[in-house]
Amino acid sequence: MLGYVCKYTPVELLEAMGAEPVRIQPAVTSFNHADALMHPNVCSYAKAVLEVMAEGGYEGIVLTSCCDAIRRLEDVLKEQYPEKFIYMLDVPRKVNDFSIGIYRKRILELADAYSAFSGKVYSREALIEILERERESARINAAGEKPDKLRVGIIGARCPETVKTLVEDNGGKVVFDISCTGTRREEALAPYLGSISRESTDPEGILSSALLSQLPCLRMADARGRSDFIAGFGNEIDGIIYHTVKFCDVYSFEYMQMKKDSQVPILKIETDLTPQCSGQIKTRVEAFMESLAAMRGTTEKKIAGKAAESEMFYVMGIDSGSTSTNAVIMDKDKKIVASAVIRTGAKSADSAVRAAKQVLDESGISENDIAMTVSTGYGREAITAAGKSVTEISCHAKGARYFNKDVHTILDIGGQDSKAIRLDDAGEVADFVMNDKCAAGTGRFLEAMARTLEVDISELGPISFESSKEVSISSMCTVFAESEVISLIAQNTEKADIARGVHRSIAGKSVSLMKRVGLVPGFMMTGGVARNKGVVKEIEEALGAKIYITEDPDIVGAVGAALSALEQVEK
Amino acid sequence: MNIARTYGNIVRKKLESDPVKAGKLIRKGLHLEGFRVKHLSDKRIPAGYKYLNYKGITVVADALDDPEHCAWTNIFAPVEILQNFGLTSVSMEALASYLSGFYLEDYFIDRSESCGIASTLCSYHKNFIGAAEAGVLPVPAAAVTTTLACDANVQSFRYINDIFNIPTYMIDIPHEYSEESLSYVSGQLRELICMLEDITRRKFSEERLREAVARENETKKYFLSFLDKRQRHEYPNTLTLVLFQLFATHLSIGEEWPLEAFRMMDEEIEAYPESGQKRLFWIHLLPYAQMALREYLNFGGDINVTCGDFDLDYIEEMDADHPVDAIARKMILNIYNGGFERKADAIADMIRKYDPDGVVEFCHWGCSQSSGGVMLMKEKVRETGKPMLILDGDAVDRRNSPDGQIKTRFEAFLELLGKGGETA
Ligand code: SF4
Ligand code: SF4
Ligand code: SF4
Repeated sequence: MLGYVCKYTPVELLEAMGAEPVRIQPAVTSFNHADALMHPNVCSYAKAVLEVMAEGGYEGIVLTSCCDAIRRLEDVLKEQYPEKFIYMLDVPRKVNDFSIGIYRKRILELADAYSAFSGKVYSREALIEILERERESARINAAGEKPDKLRVGIIGARCPETVKTLVEDNGGKVVFDISCTGTRREEALAPYLGSISRESTDPEGILSSALLSQLPCLRMADARGRSDFIAGFGNEIDGIIYHTVKFCDVYSFEYMQMKKDSQVPILKIETDLTPQCSGQIKTRVEAFMESLAAMRGTTEKKIAGKAAESEMFYVMGIDSGSTSTNAVIMDKDKKIVASAVIRTGAKSADSAVRAAKQVLDESGISENDIAMTVSTGYGREAITAAGKSVTEISCHAKGARYFNKDVHTILDIGGQDSKAIRLDDAGEVADFVMNDKCAAGTGRFLEAMARTLEVDISELGPISFESSKEVSISSMCTVFAESEVISLIAQNTEKADIARGVHRSIAGKSVSLMKRVGLVPGFMMTGGVARNKGVVKEIEEALGAKIYITEDPDIVGAVGAALSALEQVEK
Repeated sequence: MNIARTYGNIVRKKLESDPVKAGKLIRKGLHLEGFRVKHLSDKRIPAGYKYLNYKGITVVADALDDPEHCAWTNIFAPVEILQNFGLTSVSMEALASYLSGFYLEDYFIDRSESCGIASTLCSYHKNFIGAAEAGVLPVPAAAVTTTLACDANVQSFRYINDIFNIPTYMIDIPHEYSEESLSYVSGQLRELICMLEDITRRKFSEERLREAVARENETKKYFLSFLDKRQRHEYPNTLTLVLFQLFATHLSIGEEWPLEAFRMMDEEIEAYPESGQKRLFWIHLLPYAQMALREYLNFGGDINVTCGDFDLDYIEEMDADHPVDAIARKMILNIYNGGFERKADAIADMIRKYDPDGVVEFCHWGCSQSSGGVMLMKEKVRETGKPMLILDGDAVDRRNSPDGQIKTRFEAFLELLGKGGETA
């Protein structure tokens, strides 16, 4: 097996030498080797490939001069596996006669090198045969099919299989995948192989020209073909998933542009290609699919149902967050009967049971009177009592509109993450972003700062109002910020001023997050941090607008879940 | 009191409400800084450096005042060709550094991040993109960049082009030198020349390009001679002044003033006494925003940065008779082009030649040139027997550059140098 990583690799040429080229699609669980051998900032894909090579099984790998990360990977692989065939192919970024000529020469050099390594020889006839076959099989596959499912396109850097599975599990079909190695080979090259035949005298030239002419990746100087490609689908796609890899800068640019121009909803996800990370993006993909379905009108909101008009019944919503678990009971007229907020323990399922019990006790309603329970939040799937689980994105949207019908932009700051959601006029999720990568701008950050200041978290807000001097906490990372606060304390800076600085830092992060979905007036803040008036004040100042906050900002998600439960019952 | 910061705060107030005004203030600030450097700067600074510093600032300030004769570039762009059309190169690295000089980088970096740019992207790029997005930079006549060394250029310049519709040319530099790659690159340079003829409605003059390349050769001669002397003589400097050398070795090379600056420096240095200072060799980026290091290195009595690889990335004499090919060759054979190994070997050779007491590399967050290659670099430096210090931080974004950590590492390194240690 000879590994490769990039669609510009002359796979056909290697096959014509009798090699067995295999596209490396890593799904690794740890970066043990990579962390020891590479700088932490190197992209996760490059690291994952190193892990795959460490597992063994490959005689070598053909890399392309894609980016610095891959170049660095080459250095490390060469150093670690001197006995293997580690080859770097420099791919031109432009397509013209010069570059095609250069690339032709380079792929033949690759053939020579591989020949010297393996003893296998290149056969021109074999190459012609392979290219002909590729062209033909593309024709057969072209017979189209029309899915009635949600049609999703995938773009970006190296999308892991797990994302596609998620799409399919949630009622979607992947219509195209043009991430680095996602494209089907024959479909990518066939259009440029028209002239290949037994008589071809320069199949290598045809191959290098086809390789360079295929749908460009972002590394190419002229990448306009990409937007044309997507535009070609017109309204035949429902949504686009933009996948980027942690520490890859290349692909965020296109996303920015697409986000500005695209008619189709786009979800950006970033993974490090580990299964753990796929777990984290699950919520986002699910919420995205939910919102696509809502837009398409597949969720019928028929109000007819098993529950008779007159009969009273109740529903429950449970929001299982990382810091608190919140439960709400609502009657059939959408009136909140009772609510409970408890701290999430080690097991989210146990906390959910406790919260449910507490809210039932409080309301005096028996479990049997609850027609439906919907769970949401981080731990929603562990809650077995729930009839259905819905993501916190949809639930916050529903909950927010329940309290205030003018809300368009929601900022939710939880203990571990923060998110911004934009609603359209109908109250559907139009866009959302989440920050769950670092503590900055979350409740956790506030807690750490309160600890450093030696005040109770609940005091932080009130204290900050006594501030008389501007102090800024510039570090974004909790660890650095902590040492900044310590040195401020050492310089005898007033706690009040520091607290206010901390709030301003959170406000800055939050407003950036909100900007990413668009600052549509009608602001609301949810989540525990909304109780901190100091934070709210700073955000309001940064926005230049008032923020709506309910009396009980923790339960908005749970209320949304209860509303979902009502919809379920009414169906 | 920190004047730059105070001034920056004034600009900051305008950024949101009136970016054009903010842009004007930034330009005015640069002119003021130019004035300060010329008339009021530290008396210890030698005349040669003063001139270099003054030019580095005013060239950019003037170019921003006259955007029609200005091109946005990156540090490796073929500036000689742009000069031929009366265009001054303002590199995005220089712009980013200046914005950071006014303590405004946080605003622009946040701005680009809130548009969706990866937070892990190098902050030179984020700063530049944010400033362009914010509308504080006047739109230039053209933008020219290369793929040399830095992958992000293709993306940043494409993005900028999409916003402003600036005629943009990207030069693709193959990793290896060969006859084919030379024709590929000079073919692109000729294409660039056509584009510039169109935009500026001026004719290209091969004769003038020849002169520029000849001047470039002479400039480098003076610079190399200065560097040789610098290893023995004192010549008071600051970290910023060393950084400013890049204007003369890159952004303005081929023009008159860099020749003049290095000639002055080369002559002036002889009047300074020989010194027993410890000498540092600096790899790649000199942080513009790093206050902590200034304490140790500015006019440092015992320790000084006396040379770096960035100014020496291509020192071969160029063939002035074939100037376009010569420029193409210069780009392909730049030590920053291609694999890290080549660069690391070239730098190790420089270290052997200049024989410093220690080597420092500042690993700029988000730059794969530094983070990607630093382990290999360390290996190669070890082979030279010189102690090496690796600093991690952000050359532009103060928020990512923890002063404390840098201080500790730097002091420890100084202690080690004092003891004549082997490695750090
Ligand atoms: S970005 Fe382009 S060059 Fe890089 S691996 Fe993907 S397809 Fe290949
Ligand atoms: S994911 Fe990005 S950084 Fe990583 S190899 Fe691909 S293009 Fe390079
Ligand atoms: S510091 Fe590195 S990433 Fe940033 S512009 Fe320079 S070479 Fe590119």
